[in-house]
Amino acid sequence: MLKRLLSPLYLVLSLLCILSFSAQAKQAATNYQFPLHNAFEATIAGTPKALRPPLPDDADISQHDYSLRLRPEREYTLPSNFWPVKTFRYRLAKQSGPAPLIFIIAGTGAHYSSSSMEYLKKLFYGAGFHVAQISSPTAYDFMVGASAYATPGYSPQDATDLYSVMRAIKKQQRNLQVTDWHLTGYSLGGLQAAFVSHLDEQQQAFNFKRVLLINPPVNLYTSVNNLNSLVNTKAVGANETRTFYALMLDKLTRFFNSKGRFDFNEAVLFEFQNSSEKLTDNELAMLIGSAFRFTAADINFTSDLINRRGVITPPQKRIYDGTNLTPYFKEALLCDFECYMHQQLLPLWRVHFKHTVLAEVAVTDADLDLLNKASSLYALTDYLSNNDKIAVIHNADDIILGRGDIGYLQHTFAERLTLYPYGGHLGNLDYNENAADILEFFHE
Amino acid sequence: MSKTHTLQRYLATSVLLTLLHSTSWAEEVDPDGFKNPLQHLNFNQRQDQHEFERAALEALHIKDPLEQWNRRVYHFNYRFDQWVFLPVVKGYTTIAPHFVRTGVSSFFSNLGEIKTLANSLLQLKGHRAMETTARILFNTIFGVGGLWDPASKMGLAKNNEDFGQTLGYYGVPHGPYLMLPFLGPSNARDTTGAVADFGIDKSVNWLNMAKESQRNPEIFGLQIVDQRYITELRYGQLNSPFEYEKIRYAYTKSRELKIAE
Repeated sequence: MLKRLLSPLYLVLSLLCILSFSAQAKQAATNYQFPLHNAFEATIAGTPKALRPPLPDDADISQHDYSLRLRPEREYTLPSNFWPVKTFRYRLAKQSGPAPLIFIIAGTGAHYSSSSMEYLKKLFYGAGFHVAQISSPTAYDFMVGASAYATPGYSPQDATDLYSVMRAIKKQQRNLQVTDWHLTGYSLGGLQAAFVSHLDEQQQAFNFKRVLLINPPVNLYTSVNNLNSLVNTKAVGANETRTFYALMLDKLTRFFNSKGRFDFNEAVLFEFQNSSEKLTDNELAMLIGSAFRFTAADINFTSDLINRRGVITPPQKRIYDGTNLTPYFKEALLCDFECYMHQQLLPLWRVHFKHTVLAEVAVTDADLDLLNKASSLYALTDYLSNNDKIAVIHNADDIILGRGDIGYLQHTFAERLTLYPYGGHLGNLDYNENAADILEFFHE
Repeated sequence: MSKTHTLQRYLATSVLLTLLHSTSWAEEVDPDGFKNPLQHLNFNQRQDQHEFERAALEALHIKDPLEQWNRRVYHFNYRFDQWVFLPVVKGYTTIAPHFVRTGVSSFFSNLGEIKTLANSLLQLKGHRAMETTARILFNTIFGVGGLWDPASKMGLAKNNEDFGQTLGYYGVPHGPYLMLPFLGPSNARDTTGAVADFGIDKSVNWLNMAKESQRNPEIFGLQIVDQRYITELRYGQLNSPFEYEKIRYAYTKSRELKIAE
């Protein structure tokens, strides 16, 4: 009967992986053959199986999840329902002999075992690397088990937290024979990798040989704004009484009804996106935006509860395994990422970090601007433009970028920027040409 | 149907459709190459839409009067999974080679089709009942008691029906949500259904299994380990403080979808 547990998973996956091949007319001839030319479809569907690179089997990878006790005080101060994440966990895949080690930092809200992380692990492991997978500083487990302030979003502090984790991993794995240290991260993890690399220049614990930023935000605030705006698309008619999710489920129901069978796999999803129930760009955008809002809700709730700020959960509230958290979930869902910045990140930043950037600016908007500049790639422009070991790959149609961001990357990274014409946000991460480019950078 | 076969069909269709589809966006590309994909979306000009909030809050309304108890069971299951169940499954994968594990899974899956057959009949789904009967016969005879699954290779895909779905088909509402110890998410209707299915299995006694596993409880044990082995869900996988709510929603909606088809 446990098999039933599979079905919710399928449902979630299906909503996240609806696949399509409908392609737009090419504007210019290129030799880049990635098939999905719609940024939203690419972002959700990823690369079709046949176009992915060959990867080693899980059974052939010597890997293990390790625990670190980085925040022992929280084992006593935090409610019992946090028990699974009170010790911090990471995953390490080891080669049998001496080898270079690469750290991978996950994207916004993502766990070290999320599908993109597993993919990158297999890619690098197959190429002879030891691979250490680290959850995003914005992920639930990292915030509870590793983060000093548990209020992510200020890149220099996120990098400091990541750096402590990496040092702890190095210490715990001191018998592992490592020839060189490398670093990469995707999405928000790419931005954080740049800050970690910068920190390492001063502290020299690793002296990273190569650092690759995969589809990072350039201006953090632009990316946040873009993702926030996606839930404001016209995905639901003005006179519609059903909610967006109810509409999506109705579409799935009609589709499976006409098909006469309930079954999810890549081929069925492709069939769906070519049926009359096909999701429009507005609907796809709304799905992506929704996923981001659910991540924001997790961050809101977790950060507030760890710091007992009383924004979401009353500070004196006793929480145990049986406590109904739904009211706080609702509260947290109403506050998007920008609201989180205003309610939680900015006040903390004013107290702990503002003096390190610049003093004497009192107005809120100016503070937000300062915080954003200090957290975006701009803060590292000099470092990035003069350092040959750092490169970036990005897509011309990435939904987290804004006007001028690509120009900034071209100017700062010059020939160390690889720009693909398609892929949306990370949709082409596991396309075989991208995979080859990624590995080539680390093998030079 | 074999995997490669599916893939071939899928690729052929996809190539065809890629050729057929060539709708085009009137695309404005910035001088630096940026395609600004958000320019293709229609936004509500007024920022007071709140459709996401409306949909998300409504999704949290699922009848759950036993929530406190359910949440404790969820944490119990999570701990049991990490400390007992998954280590046992790991031991199983170490001891039993891959082909043995596949054989065990096919065998129990074949037994499970009796339930699908009975419930297809109860819902008067004749075609599905015939398909399932054919599967059981092929797999039992040519698959040596169900150790292999030749029926799938012959193009007879597996269906899944249970008594919970039958009840839903005849309009019985799902009732209160339940988190069952060891077994995971369910509700009043599906739990009743599971008990009925257990009764069906016992009275049909296909391949003498129900009787045998009563005499040899290790068969029942193997069945449970196999179930955990083929179930990919891991507690904590959603890495969210609200995993309980998310599982509750996904379980309820996926059951509705299964009942509707």
